[in-house]
Amino acid sequence: MVTQHYSAAAERIRETFFSDGRAGAVLVSRTQLVDGIVRSLWPPPDGVAVFAVGGYGRGELFPFSDIDLLILVASEAARESIREPIAPFLRSLWDEGLRVSQSVHTVAECHELDRNNVELAISLLDRRFLMGDPAVAARLNPRNRAELIQALIGLTRERHAKFQNTIHHLEPHLKDAPGGIRDLHVVRWLVQLTARDAELATVDFETLFQFRCYLHYLTGRDHNILTFELQDQIAELQGRSAAQVMRDYFRQAGSIARNCGQLLRINEAPTSGLFAQFRDRRSRVSNADFTVSREQIFFRVPHQAQHDPELIVRLFVFIARHGLALAPGTERRLAESVVVFNRMLWPVLHEICALPHAGQALRAMHETGVLRSIFPELREIDSLVIRDFYHRYTVDEHTMVAIEGLLKLRDSEQVPFAELAKELPDIAVLIMALIFHDVGKADENESHVISSARIADAALERIGMPQRERQAACELIRLHLEMSTIMNSRDLTEPATAQYLAEKVRTVEQLKYLTLLTWSDISAVNPAAMTQWRAGLLWQLYTVTYRELTRELEAQRIKTSFSDLPHRRRFLDGLPTRYLRTHSEAEVDLHARMQTKSREEGIAVALQYSGSIYTLTILMPDRPALLADVAGALSSFGLNILKAEVFSNRHLTAVNTFVFADPLRTLELNPEERERLQAVVRQAAMREVDVSHLLRGRLRRPAGKRRLTPQVSVDNQVSENATLLQITSEDRPGLLYELAAAIARQECNIEVVLIDTEALKAIDVFYVTHKRLKLADEYAFRLASVLKEVCQY
Amino acid sequence: MKEIEAIIQPFKLDDVKQALLVRGVDGMTISEVRGHGRQKGHTETYCGQEYTVDLLPKVKVELTVPDQPLEEILKTLSAAARTGKIGDGKSFVFDVAQAIGIRNGDRGDAAL
Repeated sequence: MVTQHYSAAAERIRETFFSDGRAGAVLVSRTQLVDGIVRSLWPPPDGVAVFAVGGYGRGELFPFSDIDLLILVASEAARESIREPIAPFLRSLWDEGLRVSQSVHTVAECHELDRNNVELAISLLDRRFLMGDPAVAARLNPRNRAELIQALIGLTRERHAKFQNTIHHLEPHLKDAPGGIRDLHVVRWLVQLTARDAELATVDFETLFQFRCYLHYLTGRDHNILTFELQDQIAELQGRSAAQVMRDYFRQAGSIARNCGQLLRINEAPTSGLFAQFRDRRSRVSNADFTVSREQIFFRVPHQAQHDPELIVRLFVFIARHGLALAPGTERRLAESVVVFNRMLWPVLHEICALPHAGQALRAMHETGVLRSIFPELREIDSLVIRDFYHRYTVDEHTMVAIEGLLKLRDSEQVPFAELAKELPDIAVLIMALIFHDVGKADENESHVISSARIADAALERIGMPQRERQAACELIRLHLEMSTIMNSRDLTEPATAQYLAEKVRTVEQLKYLTLLTWSDISAVNPAAMTQWRAGLLWQLYTVTYRELTRELEAQRIKTSFSDLPHRRRFLDGLPTRYLRTHSEAEVDLHARMQTKSREEGIAVALQYSGSIYTLTILMPDRPALLADVAGALSSFGLNILKAEVFSNRHLTAVNTFVFADPLRTLELNPEERERLQAVVRQAAMREVDVSHLLRGRLRRPAGKRRLTPQVSVDNQVSENATLLQITSEDRPGLLYELAAAIARQECNIEVVLIDTEALKAIDVFYVTHKRLKLADEYAFRLASVLKEVCQY
Repeated sequence: MKEIEAIIQPFKLDDVKQALLVRGVDGMTISEVRGHGRQKGHTETYCGQEYTVDLLPKVKVELTVPDQPLEEILKTLSAAARTGKIGDGKSFVFDVAQAIGIRNGDRGDAAL
């Protein structure tokens, strides 16, 4: 009789759900239905109370969830007295087709927090009195909050770790994965236990509940994994695509995970007094815009965030500098804010990328939607699922994991890629390339390599990224699959492989960027994708291509064609082919025009500023010690030379390029100093001034003990036409000037010099000739010992 | 039945798979492995620092074949994996006592 009633009513609830899709109604109706059945089957004796606990206690009874019952007994005697009558009661429920999970406890047991059964204490949080002795029921009042909070946090952290701490699984577990229904419960429990709900953002969970109802009804059991197959079935029932279904899921899971994460952080007990002290000290970084309390950032004037884009931008610079989290209220204000961002955001994004906690800042920008406000193009890949069994994450999460991986790499011990990451001239270029590298994946009609680069170009131009950096970033996106394809399908020891890639990347700088882009991209596919095996192949490809790009600098000379403009033809004629590999079209054009000018005036000087570095170009007839004199002039202004190159063409015009940083911001703060710098460089180059005079007092030695013994190695094999000298030494002001001057004194000519600076270590590679030829071995070793003396001096 | 275990250059995997498929071998197990043979590995210098590359990335192909076309299959495999340089790899052949299909219980050559 009861059975028919239950199955008919349950079927009606199911039918209603499939017609209106309202999960809330299913849970309420099913709870009421089961309540009626439970109450009708057994009147408990005195001294016994029955509670609904777990999901049933919350009134959230999913179609195939267990019916959790707590049978509370006043005493051991009462426990004995119900042993007989309880069996037929439970059997009747099973006969109904209801899966009952019951436990019998005394009041005292419920008041104790058993470390081996924390679940009991947690399930009591959702208790709902069903029937029985009200006096016994009233005695139940557990008071172990502080301890329970920490136990709950511990269990939640363990559960999250099982899912790699991310919500972005392609086939997520609706209940247990981070951002799933269990996290929603954790949020509610923590709010209940701490009475701290004022700060909590409202969480919408209807979609998750609806999906779980579908899962239960479609599989006919308590199945909670949203597999590809079930995603398709739900999509069909709802008349939309599986991608849309999953986007809804990830949005909701993301919001739940954020709320849960914040509450876990706030309530986690400090592990030591030292930690608490450190945390309190961090509140001193508070400034006029933001207050820091318990490691979280609050707006000083909260409503200002609604209409002040500058403040929001400053907030992320603040995170990037101090590595602090947003307070829940701050996050909510950002989510509600509808500010429109200034178009010229490049300088500030550039600054964020260079700060120590850039990864955390970019993650916060992504999670609060600010990154999508700046780049609406990213909405296309928001929570986008591309099904394959190799990728673990959605496209947007893959992008963030790749960026975080790259930034962590810099501080890691992962030889040799960590070293490479430290050598990047501007990490912001690579981060921009990573942000957009897969943005074209939303469009299935075109190769994403091409469309991503096109979308990136427009977006990065809009924010004011300088042309040179922008071109580099877009080119990286176009090439981002090249290295992984080559390393799996080409013979890396075959010279043609290195030549092929060298022609694609054209410059050493771009090769370094592309290698790390590839490393980050593969590493972010899934936690196990970057095996030692793949890392080995990638590094091998990097080194063979690096050698290809730096070898035979002199061997190949450009042969011009008549299709070139006359001034360009005259300029390019006889320059090493490497010149074209290292310069953009715009730069070639500038240099060709400068050559015309230098023929009239004897010299042409140009100074360009981009981002944080300057490029100084000088064109004039080549002469001995020219490089040394210009390097000396730059050092006399306190400027830090990062790279210098010399190329000469058939007409013996030398193109000297110096890339340098201005650590004291002299040129930035005093624009007239730029004019004076160019004038001094001109005089030094034309020998109108004595450079050693300019440098008087500047050539100071680093204080303290020397930590690095200088090393000079000679290689007469790598280049056909020049001798290579590699110098590793402790960096100091004017070092390049002194080395170059010493080389000039030995009547040698510097063809190319590549400079790398890693913190206090300078790595300089000189390609040197004597009377246009390679140095004899003996001569080369003599020069090496002279240079070693210069370093030690 | 024999089992062939071949260690080959990673970039030759597609060629080897294709060549074996043409010969009628369509089942194999592939693993990414690292090791060294006579090639020994080498030391690389990069920016003044030395890195020892002692274990080189290789691919291991395992396949079980009937006794009959064994020689042809080995020839096909070697031809597809060869570049003529050091590091091309090696094949090893083992006797297989029995093969059993898990789904249908087939035994011997029928299970291959």
